[in-house]
Amino acid sequence: MLELKNLTVHYGHKRVVHDVSLTLAPGQMLGLAGESGSGKSTVAMSVLRLLPKTARVEGEVLLDGEDVRTMSWGRLRAVRWASASIVFQGAMHSLNPVRRVGEQIAEPMRLHSTPGSVAELLEQVELPREKARAYPHELSGGQKQRVMIAMALACGPRLVIADEPTTALDVVVQAQVLAVLTRLVAEQDLGLLMISHDLSVLAQTCEDLAVMQGGELVERGRTHEVIANPRHPHTAALTAAFPVIGAPQHRWTEPAPAPQPLLRVRDLVVDYGRTRAVDGVDLTIGRGEIVALVGQSGSGKTTLARTIMGLRKPSSGRVIFDGAEVAAKGRALKAFRRQVQLVLQDPSSALNPRHRVFDAVAEGLRVHGVDGDHEALVTAAVERAELRPASLYLDALPHELSGGQQQRVVIAGALVLQPRLLVADEPVASLDASVRGEVVALLLRLRAELGLASLLITHDLGLAWQIADRVAVMHQGKIVEQGPVEQVLLTPSHDYTRALLRAVPQV
Amino acid sequence: MRLAGRIGGAALSLLMVAVLGFFLFRVVPGDPVVSMTRGRPTTEALQAELRAQFGLDRPLHEQFWSYFTSLLQGDLGTSFTFRRPVSEVILERLGPTVLLVGTATLIAVLLGLWLGVRAAWRRDSAFDRVTTGVSLTLWAVPTFWLGMLLMMVTGDLFPSRGMRDTDTPPDFLSQALDVGHHLVLPSVTLVAVVCAEYALVMRSSLLEEMHAPYLTTARAKGLRDDLVRRRHAVPNAVLPAITLVFLRFGLVVAGAITTETVFSWPGLGLLFYDALTGPDYFLLQGLLVVTAGAVVVMNLLADVLHGVLDPRVKVV
Repeated sequence: MLELKNLTVHYGHKRVVHDVSLTLAPGQMLGLAGESGSGKSTVAMSVLRLLPKTARVEGEVLLDGEDVRTMSWGRLRAVRWASASIVFQGAMHSLNPVRRVGEQIAEPMRLHSTPGSVAELLEQVELPREKARAYPHELSGGQKQRVMIAMALACGPRLVIADEPTTALDVVVQAQVLAVLTRLVAEQDLGLLMISHDLSVLAQTCEDLAVMQGGELVERGRTHEVIANPRHPHTAALTAAFPVIGAPQHRWTEPAPAPQPLLRVRDLVVDYGRTRAVDGVDLTIGRGEIVALVGQSGSGKTTLARTIMGLRKPSSGRVIFDGAEVAAKGRALKAFRRQVQLVLQDPSSALNPRHRVFDAVAEGLRVHGVDGDHEALVTAAVERAELRPASLYLDALPHELSGGQQQRVVIAGALVLQPRLLVADEPVASLDASVRGEVVALLLRLRAELGLASLLITHDLGLAWQIADRVAVMHQGKIVEQGPVEQVLLTPSHDYTRALLRAVPQV
Repeated sequence: MRLAGRIGGAALSLLMVAVLGFFLFRVVPGDPVVSMTRGRPTTEALQAELRAQFGLDRPLHEQFWSYFTSLLQGDLGTSFTFRRPVSEVILERLGPTVLLVGTATLIAVLLGLWLGVRAAWRRDSAFDRVTTGVSLTLWAVPTFWLGMLLMMVTGDLFPSRGMRDTDTPPDFLSQALDVGHHLVLPSVTLVAVVCAEYALVMRSSLLEEMHAPYLTTARAKGLRDDLVRRRHAVPNAVLPAITLVFLRFGLVVAGAITTETVFSWPGLGLLFYDALTGPDYFLLQGLLVVTAGAVVVMNLLADVLHGVLDPRVKVV
C-alpha cells in the first residue's frame, strides 16, 4: 500500500534522509523510531508531499502503486486525506485556534465529498458529540488528540500516519489515546505508520519496528525481536535509555538512611479562585534527598512546586525551610530563593535566546548581588554541569547548543548560586533518549558531590525509579501515597498509583 | 466583568480628555476677544463687556467648573467666532468629515489588508517588494506634502478645493457626482497615509502564521492553496490587524485634520484649524471632546470586536 524506495531528501546541501526504503501493507502497524533530527518526520511529510519547497526529494514514494512525487497538483489534493491522512501532534498547534473542531473535522469530508457525520466520528474516538461546537482551547490535550484522530479518519483513508501522536500527554491520557487509535486502526483494517521518539510507546502498539538515525534506516524487523536482540548499537542505546520500573539495572541510586529534614511542607492549601489546586499537602525533603512528585497534568504538582519556591502565596499551611518559616516577602524571601533553584522542562524556552551562556548563568549572581569573581564562579558552575571546558561554551548563544547542552546551561544557572534544593520540573521530558540518561546521571552526581537535594516533578515514573529516594503521588491536589521508591512503585497501596503504573508503556 | 472594566476605563479616558481640553487650549497664544473684534474699533469697555459675556473675566477654576458642569449636561458652550452653540456648529460639519473619513477608512482597510495578505503569501516576490517599499515610503511622507503633491500632479483633473461647485444642478444625482468628484483627492491622500500601515501590519501578522502547524494540517487535508489561506491563515492573522484598524483611528483623525485643511474640505478638521486661529476656546474644547470621544469609543470597540472574533478571548 505504501512503498518508499530509496527515499533521499536534501535541504540545500544538507542531507536529512538518506536512501530509506520501507513498505507497509494494509492492516499493518509499523513503528518508526528515532531521535530529533533523525529524519523520521521528514519521511512522514514526504508521503503526502508536504515538505517545504526548499526540500529536494529523490527516490520513489508509492502510494497504492502511484508515485506521489510525480502526481499533478489536482491528483495530489485528491489523494491527500482520502488515501492517507496524518495525526499530527495536535495537543500543540495543529488545530486552527479560531475555528470550531466540528467544522475542522467536517472540512475534509466536504472537500472530498465523503458521506458521514461528525457526531459519529466523535463517538468513535469516545468524545461526546457536543464537543463538535468547542474551540481547540476549550479542550484538554487528550481531547484535542482525539479530535485529530477523528479528523484523520473522516475520509476513510487506508493509511494513517501518526507523527508523535502522544508526546506532551501524560501517561494515563497517553494510554487512553493509544488505545483509541489502535482500536480504530484494527477495526477498520487500516495501515498505520507511527512515528515516535519513545520506543516504549511503539513497542506497545506496533508489530513491526524501524529505527532511524542521522537520516538513515539502521534497523528494521518484528518489534519484539528488534527490542530483544538489537543488531545496531543505536537501537540498543534507545532500548536501554527507557528505564524499566522494577529492573535493578535501571535503579541508579541506593536507598539512604532517612536524612535530617531540609524542607517541610505542612498542611498546605492553595486556591485558585474557587478551585482548590493543592489540598492539604504534607511533604518533607531531607538534606541531599531526591524526592519525586508524580501525577498527571492538572494534579496540582506544579502549583505545589511554585508555592514551595515562594512564587505563590499559600491560602493556608506552612512551608518550613531549614527550621525557619519561609518569609512571604522582602529580603528574607530573596535569601530563601537563592537557596532553592528551579530547572524547567524546556530549556529552549527557559533560556533567553539573545543571552550568551555566560550572561544566562551569571544573571542569578547579579540578581542576588553576589560579590566575587563572577567569571570564576560561572566557569565553575558550567563545568559542574559538565560542559567542559567551559571556555568553549561561555560565548555561545542557546541556538548553537543541542537540547542536552541547553539543559546543562539551565542547571549551571541554578548551581552558580550554590543552592541547597533544586526544584526540577520535568527536567528530561523534552530531551532525546540518549541525552536523557546523561542529564539524569548529572543530577545524581550533583547530589553525591554537593549534597544537593532535589524535588523532581514528573509524570515519568521511570525517571522516579531511576534516581529518586522517595516518591509522592499527587492526585487532585492531594498526596495520595508517599514513601520509598521501591515500596510505592513495586507494592503500591493506593488505586491511583496502581492506575498510573498500569498506564506506563513498557519496552 | 471584563467588559464593564473596559467601559469604566473608557469613561475615565473621556473624563481626562474633558479636563485636558479645557486647560490645553488656554495655553494657546492669542486673545479670543481681540481676534473677535479685529478690524473694528473697540473700546476697553466693550472688550470688558465681551469678556464678561463669555465669562472670561472670572477666575480659571470657576470657568472650568461652569464648563465642566455644562459639559455633563451636554452643553458645549457658545462659539466666539460663529456666535452659535458649539454643538450646532460641530453637527453641521460632521457630515463631510464622516463622509471623508468613512470612505478613506473603508478603502484603506480593504486595500491594506488585501495588499498585506498578498505580499505575505508570496513573500519576497516582486509584488511583495513593491508593496512593502511603497508602503514604507507613504508611511514616512507628511500628509500635507502628499496632498499638495497630488494636487500638482493631477492638475485640473480633480477639483482641489471644497466639497461641491456652486453651479451644479440641484438634483440628487448631479450633486452626488459632484461631491464624489471633489472627494477623490482628499480621500486618496488619506488612504495613502493609513493604508500603508494596515498593509505592513497585515503582512507581518500573516508572516508569523505562515509556519503554523495547523496550516500543514489544512494542506494535508487536500485544501487548495488559496483555501488554506482564506479559511485558515487569514482568519488567524487578521485578528491583530483588525484591532489595529480600530486602535489607529486617532491616526485617521489626525490625518483628516491635515487633509481637510489642505483641500479646504468643509469638515471638522478644517473647523479645528480655523478655531485654533481664534483661539475659539469653546469650539476647540467641543471639537476635542467629540474627536477624542470617537477615538476612545473606537478603542473600546476594538476590544469588544477582538473578543467576538477570537474565541480565546472572553468578553463578558
